[in-house]
Amino acid sequence: MFKIALSPAERSYLHESLSCSSPIRPDARLYKQFRPLEATCSFLPGSNGSARIRMADGAECLASVKAKVVSLQLNNADATQQLQNLIEVDLDINGIRDDSNLSSTIASSLKGSLVKHVPLDKLRLTHRYAFKLFIDIVVLSHSSVYPLTLLSLATYMALKSTKLPLLTSTVDDREIEEQPMFSDDWESSIALFGDSSLSPPLLFVVAVVNDNIFIDPSPEEESVSENGICLTYANGKIISPLQTISLSPKDNTGINAAQILKAHALVKEIGPLVTKSLDEIVSDDSVKTIF
Amino acid sequence: MPPSTKRLNNGLSVTTKVFVRSRNGGATKIVREHYLRDDVACYSKLCDQCEYSLETTPVLSHVPFSTAKLSKHYLILDTNTVLNAIDLLESSQALFDVIIPQTVLEEVRNRSYPIYTRLRGLSKADAKRLIVFHNEFCKNTFVARQKGETINDYNDRLIRKVCEYYNSHLSKYGVKAILLTDDKDNLRKCKDERVLALSLREYLSKLPNSEDLLDTLPSAQDDFQVAEFKYAEYYSQSRLIAGVKSSVLFQGPMNVSSYDIFEGTINLPSIFPKPILVRGRQNMNRATNGDLVVVELLPKSQWVAPSNDIVDESTLGNVDNEDNDLIISDQERRLLNKEARRAQMEEESKLQPSAKVVGVIRRRWRLFTGQLSPNTITSNTNTLNSCLITLSEKSMPAVRIKTRKANDLLNMRIVVAIDDWPGTSKHPEGHFVRTLGPIEDKDTEQEALLLEHDVEYRPFSKNVLDCLPKEGHEWVVPEDLSSDEQLKKRRDLRDKLVCSIDPPGCVDIDDALHARRLSNGNFEVGVHIADVTHFVKPATPLDQEGSSRSTSVYLVDKRIDMLPTLLGTDLCSLKPYVDRFSFSVIWELDEDANIINVDFMKSIIKSREAFSYQDAQDRIDDPSNKDELTQGMRSLLALSKKLKKKRMDAGALNLSSPEVKVHMDSETSDPGEVEIKKLLDTNSLVEEFMLLANISVARKIYDAFPQIAMLRRHAPPPSTNFEALNEMLHIRKGMTVSVENSKALSDSLDRCVDKNDEYFNTLVRIMATRCMMAAEYFVSGNFSYQEFKHYGLAADIYTHFTSPIRRYCDVLAHRQLAAAIGYEPLHPSQRDKTKMDLIVKNMNRRHRNAQFAGRASIEYYVGQVIKNTESSQEGYIIKVFTNGVVVLVPNFGVESLIKLEDMGDESSGLFDEKDFKLSFNDKIGNRRELHVFDKVTVYMKSVLNEMTGKRKAVFMLK
Repeated sequence: MFKIALSPAERSYLHESLSCSSPIRPDARLYKQFRPLEATCSFLPGSNGSARIRMADGAECLASVKAKVVSLQLNNADATQQLQNLIEVDLDINGIRDDSNLSSTIASSLKGSLVKHVPLDKLRLTHRYAFKLFIDIVVLSHSSVYPLTLLSLATYMALKSTKLPLLTSTVDDREIEEQPMFSDDWESSIALFGDSSLSPPLLFVVAVVNDNIFIDPSPEEESVSENGICLTYANGKIISPLQTISLSPKDNTGINAAQILKAHALVKEIGPLVTKSLDEIVSDDSVKTIF
Repeated sequence: MPPSTKRLNNGLSVTTKVFVRSRNGGATKIVREHYLRDDVACYSKLCDQCEYSLETTPVLSHVPFSTAKLSKHYLILDTNTVLNAIDLLESSQALFDVIIPQTVLEEVRNRSYPIYTRLRGLSKADAKRLIVFHNEFCKNTFVARQKGETINDYNDRLIRKVCEYYNSHLSKYGVKAILLTDDKDNLRKCKDERVLALSLREYLSKLPNSEDLLDTLPSAQDDFQVAEFKYAEYYSQSRLIAGVKSSVLFQGPMNVSSYDIFEGTINLPSIFPKPILVRGRQNMNRATNGDLVVVELLPKSQWVAPSNDIVDESTLGNVDNEDNDLIISDQERRLLNKEARRAQMEEESKLQPSAKVVGVIRRRWRLFTGQLSPNTITSNTNTLNSCLITLSEKSMPAVRIKTRKANDLLNMRIVVAIDDWPGTSKHPEGHFVRTLGPIEDKDTEQEALLLEHDVEYRPFSKNVLDCLPKEGHEWVVPEDLSSDEQLKKRRDLRDKLVCSIDPPGCVDIDDALHARRLSNGNFEVGVHIADVTHFVKPATPLDQEGSSRSTSVYLVDKRIDMLPTLLGTDLCSLKPYVDRFSFSVIWELDEDANIINVDFMKSIIKSREAFSYQDAQDRIDDPSNKDELTQGMRSLLALSKKLKKKRMDAGALNLSSPEVKVHMDSETSDPGEVEIKKLLDTNSLVEEFMLLANISVARKIYDAFPQIAMLRRHAPPPSTNFEALNEMLHIRKGMTVSVENSKALSDSLDRCVDKNDEYFNTLVRIMATRCMMAAEYFVSGNFSYQEFKHYGLAADIYTHFTSPIRRYCDVLAHRQLAAAIGYEPLHPSQRDKTKMDLIVKNMNRRHRNAQFAGRASIEYYVGQVIKNTESSQEGYIIKVFTNGVVVLVPNFGVESLIKLEDMGDESSGLFDEKDFKLSFNDKIGNRRELHVFDKVTVYMKSVLNEMTGKRKAVFMLK
């Protein structure tokens, strides 16, 4: 984690300016404005879907989705559990141990929200077989305490660009077993979120300073924030999990309902805009193939 | 998303190919880099732009083929054209200057590997001027796959692009490239894109000799519109794989009965103790003999007993089952499997678990010889006739072909290829390949026989003959033995009194022997084997040819050699009076023929005499002969008797097959008479020492190479094989044979004696032989030591060492032994177990084919002999059917079927399955009963079978 050494005077100035009724962010952004970022998708040729996001300050995250055919255990009472196991999230944040609290918390909360928002019926191939998604996320470098926004943007795009090979054998193998066969043409593969009403969830971290909230806080803003809120957005709604997080080591005051409502309203406002711009990148067909 | 192309350097760029591979149920996205060059040569001798590396030169002619209707042109073939016209492509009648795009070559490989290898062979031969153009690596002809384009459309587009390229590339030389494709869609697209294309038929009809050429074309799909039948469709690939994997469907080679073409069995030893029965046209579902098929068990209510009828193409019975659209789940199928296993274990019911064919994994369709069935010609004019060809292989159905020359083909032995078996046709569809000659003509029949058994009979090619010593017949053992390091390692055994004993007239003498009494009272016995590996070095064309032929094939009046004659009958052959290289095994044996010591060496010998079995016997028997050579032979004989006794005591089997020899009239080489082979003591003299040598060598090479030793094993027969025979013996004669081990079998066979009938014991032995497993070659690493056992010889380990001139296994054993004694190291290719496995597989197959070919040849000649001498003979009934019996005539070693309709009133026939009895009213109204093992008198005459054109012994019951 990146520590910004600000002098007490600087801290106080920054805190003051962010606390105003019309706050001024150090980089002159609006409270609902993101720092510029660069995103590409489908850049890993061997993956079913992939994305790469780079922030202006050098923070970078890669996400890759691979699909593998697995056979489902039949006659298992707990079918839902099996379906939930069709998504596996592996998270690697540079500088943090894989088994650290932070990593595993983020991974499991990401998995939890993905299970609800990935069209599992699309993963199901036949009665006996299904695709299992292996989502690998690597945060190469980051400056914020919680690189949640970064990795959720990358995951969102990777999932959105994920395509699954087209099944050509019969779908009904309940009584008569068949081995799945797929079309050899990659072009005929099906987009996971193609015509689905579902959409992968996005996690937004907002910093709370006084009564103001700020999207995509910079490290300096984080360091003077009193609190952080992580909100999950999907399909035009704010969904669970919604949790407070600590962005700075000090000044952790309580959080009040007004702040939550404000954050709620903010994410609800910018959510559609973010998804729209990300979707545009995904649907842009110009591939970035790396050699 | 069209993949982008990136230029790497001058003349080389790279793009990517993305596709999905589904294998074992998984789906993997594969991304490949694909390199494109701009210097792929066109191989035309006309072109002065393309550059060639040192090894390659242009192939396509300066002056390509042209006719009045077609200007100068090269040909580009698409995949289906290659698959359909491969025979035409190999003939020298048409199709020259051929360009095979790489796309086509790869598609051909995926569709049919044999045709692929033939195509590769063609590209090496000069006569056809055929090249492979690597269009997908050529920048000018590569196109990326379009979105949503099927792989077939894409490949077609790639091929059209090649045609386009050649036409523009060669336009200034006035040569056109014509695409030959039969795909209607492709032809249409060619027209749209102004690509020069013709269908194969259109092209051939523009050639001067089109009549003949068109006949050799496979049937076009729409030619036949017969919907005489409806077979069930095969299951989808994915169902077959999953079904086989989860053991609800079963995969195995189809074994069609030679008595009934609608009865087959699938052997699944790991799952069911007995073969699974497939009976009836509908259940056979277009599977033919040898095909690798997938079957599904029928519900218990549809299980049937094996047929007791004789059904061949001439007596097509209607044994079809009614349609049943029962759907059985996998769960129920597993229960059915258990049921089937239980039914096989229990003995009471004659009903056997039966199955139907639901998929064919691999066809075993080769070229077949056959004959036109005259009654299927519909019109007498030379119009296009659809007619049936009856194949020589009895267990194959007749093939329908289309020809204009039906009347010319009558009474001719012809070669046909099977193309397809559509679900609406009763017969597979094929096309005419070539005529061998008139039926009954000796040479024709011989060639047919060799073709039928896949025996390579063409003369040795030039590069094989180039491997022979340059001196030819002048080659002699060098005078100076110290001139060469290898030569120094040879032992000079020219002082030993060596002689050879072989059948009369034998020219390829593999083995020679000597024996000498030592001062300590023991014997020194030497077996000397022709040193073939001195001339056949590993990894040479000569070695490859030998390996692919694997064995010499002995027909009645012809021998197809494994190695060129120069080696077989001269340089390697241990001829008398001259020095020859040999590989010797020398034992010290005591008085009781126990091995005291054994030694292996490369040597030089000089045989004193080449005896025939009879000459040797006479020489030994004549007491006036007291010379050392004869004394040695007497010692050999005495020792061999002791060896034989020991072997018999250990449980070696004395089996029997009705072996006969055909005497040929020396002038006309017409077969004169048939004689049963007589066995002299000297036969078994040679045999015993060869066995001893083989066993000694087997031990030595297994010791030296535990993983790759070339050995031969004979598995004990499963007791189920003997069930039918035992039941017959038990019911008819009150005897049994026991099969616990070879000793028990041997003893029980000895007990099967009928006091009134001397021949009965031999008959039982003949029938028992048919129940045995076939001996096979194997690589020692594939079995555990216990499984090495040779059941018939009662030896724990065995190999073939003693006939390297005519068997390839012996050549391998020689090399291994030479390495084991430190003479020369083993060539790397012979140390590779996977390669050895392939060689062994081929050896076993060739060996079997050679045996069958030999037998078929004898059968043919016996038929010719009987043609000349019709007579009454004694015979034995060996099998009883509901509508006939099979009779074996020992004097001629032939067996034949007598149908009930030929013996008497068909309707009066009563078949007693339990008692192996067929009773009927004969022609004059008397009731007759025939049992299995009955001795009958039959009148033999030879009749030409109208359907197969084969002359066979036909018996009439007296």
